[in-house]
Amino acid sequence: MKGVRAVGYRRSRWAVLAGRIAVYAIIAVGAVAMAMPFVWLVLSSFKTLQEIVLFPPTFFPRNPTLSNFKQVFDRIPFARYYANSIVTSVIPTAVSVLTCTMAGMGFAKYRFRGRDAIFWTILSTMMVPFPATIVPLYVMISRMRLVDTRLGLIIVGLSSASGIFMMRQFIMGIPDELLDAARIDGASEFRIFRQIIVPLCKPAIATQALFSFTNHWGAYIWPLIVVNSDELRTLPLAIPYFSGQYYSFQNLINAASLMAVLPVLILFLFTQRYFVQGITITGMKN
Amino acid sequence: MVNVETRKYRAYRLQRNAAPYMFILPGTVFYLMVTIIPMMIGFWMSFHNWTIIRPTKPWVGLANYQKVLANPVFWTAMKNTLVYTAGVVPFQMILALLAAVLLNTEIRGRTLFRLLYYLPVVTPLSIAAVIWTWIYHPNLGLLNWFLRSIGFSGRDWLGDPKVAMLSVIIVAIWSGLGYRMVIFLAALQGIPETYYEAAMIDGAGRFDLFRFITMPLLRPATLYVLITSVIGSFQVFGLVNVLTGGGPLDATNVLVMWIHRRAFGDYQFGEAAATSFVLFALILAITAIQWKALGREVTYE
Repeated sequence: MKGVRAVGYRRSRWAVLAGRIAVYAIIAVGAVAMAMPFVWLVLSSFKTLQEIVLFPPTFFPRNPTLSNFKQVFDRIPFARYYANSIVTSVIPTAVSVLTCTMAGMGFAKYRFRGRDAIFWTILSTMMVPFPATIVPLYVMISRMRLVDTRLGLIIVGLSSASGIFMMRQFIMGIPDELLDAARIDGASEFRIFRQIIVPLCKPAIATQALFSFTNHWGAYIWPLIVVNSDELRTLPLAIPYFSGQYYSFQNLINAASLMAVLPVLILFLFTQRYFVQGITITGMKN
Repeated sequence: MVNVETRKYRAYRLQRNAAPYMFILPGTVFYLMVTIIPMMIGFWMSFHNWTIIRPTKPWVGLANYQKVLANPVFWTAMKNTLVYTAGVVPFQMILALLAAVLLNTEIRGRTLFRLLYYLPVVTPLSIAAVIWTWIYHPNLGLLNWFLRSIGFSGRDWLGDPKVAMLSVIIVAIWSGLGYRMVIFLAALQGIPETYYEAAMIDGAGRFDLFRFITMPLLRPATLYVLITSVIGSFQVFGLVNVLTGGGPLDATNVLVMWIHRRAFGDYQFGEAAATSFVLFALILAITAIQWKALGREVTYE
């Protein structure tokens, strides 16, 4: 590559250096712009209420304090919102990973009547915007008497088209010979699923779980419609609610926002490789 | 003995034949239950005078659709959605492509940079909106503090109808840029290095490489990003609802917000369902147009 570049370009060392500096400068400006809201959030959440309402605002906290993080739990039912968010994210994630992996196996490894028709129906409904279905979905859920219940929140996330699609793509790459060998040894289809498919699918399952978890952790429109009572509010509902209601709580809002964002940020930092894989699988191949 | 064997074999055949259906059943049922079935119910609702208060739901034909199209607020929401889409999609795509191209070169710390660019994507939108509300605060916010310290005057970013939509668009670009960047990055890494080498031997400059190799080969990724971004921005809701609530003076009222308000504020479910189908038809039409105009088959080989 270096040798080739020497043929292609007759640029002076200064031009190359200037180019590199320009690249770094653009990327750095972009990175500052992308990261600044987080930086501001972190700095603000360590400021006291007195400092937060100062005009002009301070950038770095003068007397950094942890009291906001404690007060969040004392003055608003933050622990409950947090627990609600965990329950309504973890359950749909676990269930949808299982249902999508099973469906992926069904569509990838068997030939059966109606397979392609069902699969294409699922894929084509990926085009249907969720907001287009919320009104009738609400009517359905209210007929099932699930409005303002946890089940009503969870029930819409128990499967996903992109999950089924991703698992199918992945399982298609597992050789049929492995399955046939297990069949000759007398394994049932479910046992093949449990002991061969699931262990081999670990990376895809991890990716799917991450996507699902981040989606449910941030879910907004459906909880907004289905939840009426404060007891069931999740973080994405509760934090904007308090931010709109109690202006004088801004120090707590900042601390609460930071704590609400942190789990997904940390999860992402440790698993970013899977994220990128997942995006390229679901994004590029259809 | 023979009998036992055939029975065993039959049991085996049965579980073998039933297995695929058992595997796809839960995932398919749960999925269709929240997509196809509500779609059908919604279609039915859109032709009936369906309110929550009245027990009868009389057939009204196209009256709901006529009411939707006759409502000036619907057209305001339509206009705002189009403005939002036009403001977000092109700029976000260009910035994402730029970031991807630069972060695909061999620079130091590129993994860290990629992470930074991606962080907003995993941040819950409504909480991102809360963070930005604080940044946009007219007196205490970071943005006005920065503008004032370099000699400009501050603005009421979310309260002034003239700039409210712009403020929403900026947050939207920030929040979705990283996702598009990753798709472009993946596509860039799929372009064989030999193409560039061959072109450079032929004396192509850096700009030529981008114009004649990178751009055409990124076409499928670009089309994918364009189509999904447009679909996504027609559905914007949470961000706007938290940042401005559709105000000031409907300046940021968008279509999904209008659907939400008609259904859950005014209880006009039939009309809201009709609006949903107008939105759906609009998305289908725009997607089809993009596909027709840009979707020529491109292969790498």
